[in-house]
Amino acid sequence: MAGLARGLTLGAAVAQDKRPAALHCISNFSFLRGASHPHELVERACELGYQALAITDECSVAGVVRAYVAARDKPLRLIIGSEFHVPELGVFIVLTRNRQGYAQLCQLITTARNRCKKGDYRVSLADFLGTLPDCNLLWRLPQSCYELADIEQSVTALKQHYPSRLWLAYGRHYHAYDADNYRRYQQLSQAHYVPVAAVCEVCYHQPKRHTLHDVLVAIRQRQPIDSQVAQLKPNQDYCLRSPSELTSCYPEAWLAQTIGIAKQCCFCLSELRYEYPAELVPEGRTATDYLRELTYTGAAIRFPQGLRSDVQAKLEKELTLIAQLGYEYFFLTIHDIVQFAQQRGILYQGRGSAANSVVCYCLQITAVNPDQIDVLFERFISAERDEPPDIDVDFEHERREEVIQYIYKKYGRHRAALAATVIRYRLRSALRDVGKALGFHEQELSHYLRQIDRRDGQQSWQEQLAEKFPGLQASYRGRCLLKLTQSILGFPRHLSQHVGGFVIAATQLTDLVPVENASMPERTVIQWDKDDLETLHLIKVDVLALGMLTALRKMFALVKQHHQRDLNLANIVQEDAAVYSMLQRADSIGVFQIESRAQMNMLPRLRPTTFYDLVVQIAIVRPGPIQGDMVHPYLRRRAGIEPVTFPSEAVREVLQRTLGVPIFQEQVIKLAMVAAGFSGGEADQLRRAMANWKSSGELRQFETKLIAGMRERGYSDEFAQRIFQQICGFGEYGFPESHSASFANLAYASAWLKCYYPAAFYCGLLNSLPMGFYSASQLIQDAKRHHINVLPIDIQHSQWHHQLESGQHGLQLRLGLRLVKGLSQSVTEKLLSQRPKGGFQHLQQLRSFGLGGADLHKLAAADALQALSGHRHESQWQSLALQVEQLPLFAEAGGPKSNAASYDLQALPLPPPAEFQDVAVDYKTTGVSVRRHPIALLREQQGLTGYKLASELAQCRHKQLVRVAGLVTCRQRPGTASGVTFVTLEDETGLVNVVIWQQTARSFRQAFLTAQLLKVKGVVEIHGDVIHVIAGHLEDGTEQLAQLGVAANRSRDFH
Amino acid sequence: MNRWVYLHFPHLLLDYQLALQPPEQSRYPHALLESHAARRTLVQANQTALQAGIKLGMADVLASTLAPNLRVHSYSQAQEKRVITQLAQVIYQDIAQIVLYPPQGLLCEVRSLVRLRGGYDAVVARLRSRVEQWPLRYCLSSGYSPLVAKLLAEAASPIISHDREAVQQAIAALPITYSGLAAVHIEKLYNVGFTSVGDLLKRPRAEIGVRFGRAVMNYMAELSGDFKPPQAFYHPPDKFDEKVELTSEVSSWGQLLFPLKRLLQQAESFLQSHQWSTRALVIRAHHRQGPATQVPIQFAHAVWQQNDLLQLCQLHLERQQLRQPVLALSIGLQRPESRQAKSTELLAGAPSADDQLSALVSRLQARLGEQSVQSVCYNDDWRPERQGRIQPWQQGQKQQPLKQQRPCWLLPQVQPIDRQQWQLQWGPERIVSGWWDAQPIRRDYYIAVDKAQRQGWIFHSQQGWYLHGWFS
Repeated sequence: MAGLARGLTLGAAVAQDKRPAALHCISNFSFLRGASHPHELVERACELGYQALAITDECSVAGVVRAYVAARDKPLRLIIGSEFHVPELGVFIVLTRNRQGYAQLCQLITTARNRCKKGDYRVSLADFLGTLPDCNLLWRLPQSCYELADIEQSVTALKQHYPSRLWLAYGRHYHAYDADNYRRYQQLSQAHYVPVAAVCEVCYHQPKRHTLHDVLVAIRQRQPIDSQVAQLKPNQDYCLRSPSELTSCYPEAWLAQTIGIAKQCCFCLSELRYEYPAELVPEGRTATDYLRELTYTGAAIRFPQGLRSDVQAKLEKELTLIAQLGYEYFFLTIHDIVQFAQQRGILYQGRGSAANSVVCYCLQITAVNPDQIDVLFERFISAERDEPPDIDVDFEHERREEVIQYIYKKYGRHRAALAATVIRYRLRSALRDVGKALGFHEQELSHYLRQIDRRDGQQSWQEQLAEKFPGLQASYRGRCLLKLTQSILGFPRHLSQHVGGFVIAATQLTDLVPVENASMPERTVIQWDKDDLETLHLIKVDVLALGMLTALRKMFALVKQHHQRDLNLANIVQEDAAVYSMLQRADSIGVFQIESRAQMNMLPRLRPTTFYDLVVQIAIVRPGPIQGDMVHPYLRRRAGIEPVTFPSEAVREVLQRTLGVPIFQEQVIKLAMVAAGFSGGEADQLRRAMANWKSSGELRQFETKLIAGMRERGYSDEFAQRIFQQICGFGEYGFPESHSASFANLAYASAWLKCYYPAAFYCGLLNSLPMGFYSASQLIQDAKRHHINVLPIDIQHSQWHHQLESGQHGLQLRLGLRLVKGLSQSVTEKLLSQRPKGGFQHLQQLRSFGLGGADLHKLAAADALQALSGHRHESQWQSLALQVEQLPLFAEAGGPKSNAASYDLQALPLPPPAEFQDVAVDYKTTGVSVRRHPIALLREQQGLTGYKLASELAQCRHKQLVRVAGLVTCRQRPGTASGVTFVTLEDETGLVNVVIWQQTARSFRQAFLTAQLLKVKGVVEIHGDVIHVIAGHLEDGTEQLAQLGVAANRSRDFH
Repeated sequence: MNRWVYLHFPHLLLDYQLALQPPEQSRYPHALLESHAARRTLVQANQTALQAGIKLGMADVLASTLAPNLRVHSYSQAQEKRVITQLAQVIYQDIAQIVLYPPQGLLCEVRSLVRLRGGYDAVVARLRSRVEQWPLRYCLSSGYSPLVAKLLAEAASPIISHDREAVQQAIAALPITYSGLAAVHIEKLYNVGFTSVGDLLKRPRAEIGVRFGRAVMNYMAELSGDFKPPQAFYHPPDKFDEKVELTSEVSSWGQLLFPLKRLLQQAESFLQSHQWSTRALVIRAHHRQGPATQVPIQFAHAVWQQNDLLQLCQLHLERQQLRQPVLALSIGLQRPESRQAKSTELLAGAPSADDQLSALVSRLQARLGEQSVQSVCYNDDWRPERQGRIQPWQQGQKQQPLKQQRPCWLLPQVQPIDRQQWQLQWGPERIVSGWWDAQPIRRDYYIAVDKAQRQGWIFHSQQGWYLHGWFS
């Protein structure tokens, strides 16, 4: 009786505040169970005058930060908790009372989740005994009938471990069994002196969400809703109820208990303090001190001729700021990681706003020389904006795993884990899932989805559907589909792992946040994503993978090997005119970031001549500037056609370096501040909204404010509208200047190598595939156009990787065996290590060196055995005879000379393959061919009379009618150019850029969509170095290709 | 002499389905779709679809972009197999030796018919005219071995000739991709420069065996006819359809009892010999003129013994009237089924409760008609009026227990009541559900007693108070 009595006194003591408390609310972070966002619950609770709200997602705290943000400035106490479904015992709701309790809860969630694969958890009663001394436990009894005796032991155990911290959570949702339930709770309470609290089960914030809740049930069951009615809740009372409803529904004493519980839960997320791993600083030193020392040691290496006074001033300013904000450990952590990479010879580069600082340059985190782009240094971490510093470090993609393993090893798995990424419903998945739940057929839904152009800025997707399918809007089910799809958009679906954001804790990660298994083995993720971390000022370190770094390291190694020049990212000759002149000709295949079709089109227009031009070039071919219609003004101003003007002095400061045209994300945000009067905080919100634009329409709320603000300050509406469009565009693929600068550094380095060491350049790239925009075949075609002699795969000369060999005309590229599809690397390398000086003698030798029959045949098929067994047909004929392991007796008797295979050949020789057959099989077995281009073969067979070569187009008249044909290497329909598709054709002399307007595409739909060999009749347009063919007529030549036996389906389509 | 003729129907199922529909359907592009995991590809298409640029093997997304009005149906191999079996039955009228190559092929032995029909061409012509009664696209080829005929037909390069040499030439010229070998073998052969079947055939078999294995060697033997794999010839299905001629005209069912018993006796032995039982039969009374009077009989459970058959037939016949005198009586057994599906008790002991119930229902259905025997079943739905449902009695249905406390008697129509006349005892039970089929309800139910102390189930909705049922 003591417990009950104490509970009652407590209730009396707090009688002055009778505002209700909701202690059991699940949000949509209980995936497919909760039907409201955390912030919706918070806002509704405030409206209804609640004093406290607990977010208790199922074995999760993934949604609490969102709730925390929403509740921050409101008179509502947010309680952090979680619910657990305990087999046979019902539901346990754990509420944290204080900071310790929170850590205990995180530990419990981590334990329960680590027992299962991703997305699941398992608990039993034992998990709750003795593990949660600073938490309250609310117990919702199982629905099914039970005998009191069955749970007798559990009650006793729980009572013992939760003295006056245990309640029975009675919820009444107007069911037929309410009365029975009430009796059960009362009996149990009286029998064991456990108080009852009135706790509604809340699955959504307001009654009308119950339809969505029903849909979620159907989605979870993967069945249409009308077959799952037994699983649905019978009414809409699982919402937040009004205080008056609560009073009429529950006994007053039980309600008082609830309020009492809420008052005991005092933990707030703002109490969380990130503590950096302490081991980074030697004992007896302060972090500030140590960072300063490291920075100046680094400065001596970076600036051997001494620090310029202005640079040193900047450095000092940065160090002060870092000390003021306490970010020393962050820089030290990254420094430690890049040190490791350096020791291992792993190429890396930092990027992000803080990365382009003098400190980072000195700490070798980035190689962007501040001399070159000192303008960038105004952006750093800002004291007033209170945002954590942003540094991403890219590592070689083939070796990033080493870095990750280092982090795990250094800090331990209990201290390091990846941040989560919340995967949310987007239109496609939402319409599909909701549609299936409503009983729509899969094919019907695909049909609807195909009709939606998501890049249409004018019409919403609902309007588009309503216009194209009037029947949908007219039917009840159709209206449900539209409405419910809209409300599920942006709902979290599951947690995935962030690409590389590590959170490292000082002691135990679970003190901060639960850790769960990711789908990748051996990977763990925390339950918060990057926005959550940012909100709570927790630091993550981004360890990312970048293919180009791998390629660059391999290129540097080749240059060193063949030219004895020791190059690295920092010592490449800067601002080399020849490099820029190459880029101005759009000769950029393989060059980092500026190799895409769109970039190649921009290069001859923008004509970069300095490093900063490259920074702009990278950022300008993106949805932001394009949607904001900033590209042409920039080009006009650059070409001197339009004067460079600024609407005001304030704007000049922001836009000076980009000729008065906003290009970068930072500029746009800054503009919102100086031109539209956004406060620092508002600008920060804008920045976050831009990051979330994809999944929710948050940005619209800024439109009015932005435009009104700019109008007030005398800017034209048209300019304001364009800025807003640009903001929307950035939302999709935001691109800040700081990132662009780091990328430009790599772009320049790769361009420089392409210009001066082309053989090493192609070899390094080819050895790093898959990466970048182009396939091996396209790269090899480009290499040939640059007069690099490409030698075929040959068992007597090739290594596993591609390599450079010296020849009569300089270095030649010898293709490696890695191209042979399906060949095992370890077996091949073992074989090659045994290759005699003079080469292998016969096929049998390869077998006896351990090469399997199947691998031998693959080599024969790839035509790598020419030297040993003649042409491709013969090689394979012979290798097939050697497939089965010969018994030693026969092998001896047969010997190489009287080999059964060669005997056969004398009897009836095999015809050699025709050239086109060889080309076809080359593509099939290796994906590349060093023989003639298929188009050249077709031309030779008179299959393409009257068609121009790609190289001939430059000599054509502007507007001349031409015919061109080539293999389709890329089909691209940028969202920014409505209705136009860019198709790239490759022939033996180069690439042809074809522009296809929607009308043409429709008229020749089949050729447009499926042709591998496309024949185009059209008008050639020549603007300086930019050449296009505007298609008027398309023809599918794939059949001709097929007659040659070539299937060249290697196009990148509509990505 | 080329002994074999092979018929290949590349779009059999689609053609057949369209043949059962009005001809204007063929003006639309139609295609059949097969799903492999996430990938869905077209496997058959009609002429209109092919003309629109649709190719077999295409993904459905691409196909419906090419031809937006494309009508897609799903492909079912089982269905297609049934169609090919039916086709065999059609052809069986002309050719006795047919081998089924499901799902799309038929092999016919024609040598034995050449003399009978007066020449090779006549045999083929007859076969063609028979097949062309159906609007099916097909390809027919001769062959000196079954495999040869099959490959030529499937490759759509048919030879129709009794001359062996002509066929030999055709098969040698066949691209290796049409060899019918496994893809892995075709690739290997292609890789050593064998582009046609002839390239393979001119090599010594031993040489091929070493490199490509026994399968390819056997294939060569089968192609040349040296190896003759056994062929399983088609037999029309065993069915029971027997007729007895009556010695004199009979004008009442009573007089037909004896011949009926005889026929059923035969039926029992037929079923017995196949270990079958049946669920339906048809009794036909043949008259001097006009169509026979047919009496279809359905059994609620499978039977085979004469007694069971007779008992039900008698019940049915008692309700029938004969309008004309009868000359002959026949019985056709329908839907025969294997008895093994049903677990047989070791000893034919007492019939189980289920069997007794089935037997009872069967009798009731015989007396009252099948639709008249109905049962109540439970529907998962929160809306009370939808929780119960009456439907024709079905074999094997189980009653689910009701989950909630509900009145024994639910009124067919809710009745408006005066709330003042009722005293609430318990409630509410709130039901807000059913939005998905546009018939949502929003009610608070109470158990209440009226002035006469009758316990009723009443509810309150936006429209007011209603009585929905009685507990007592």
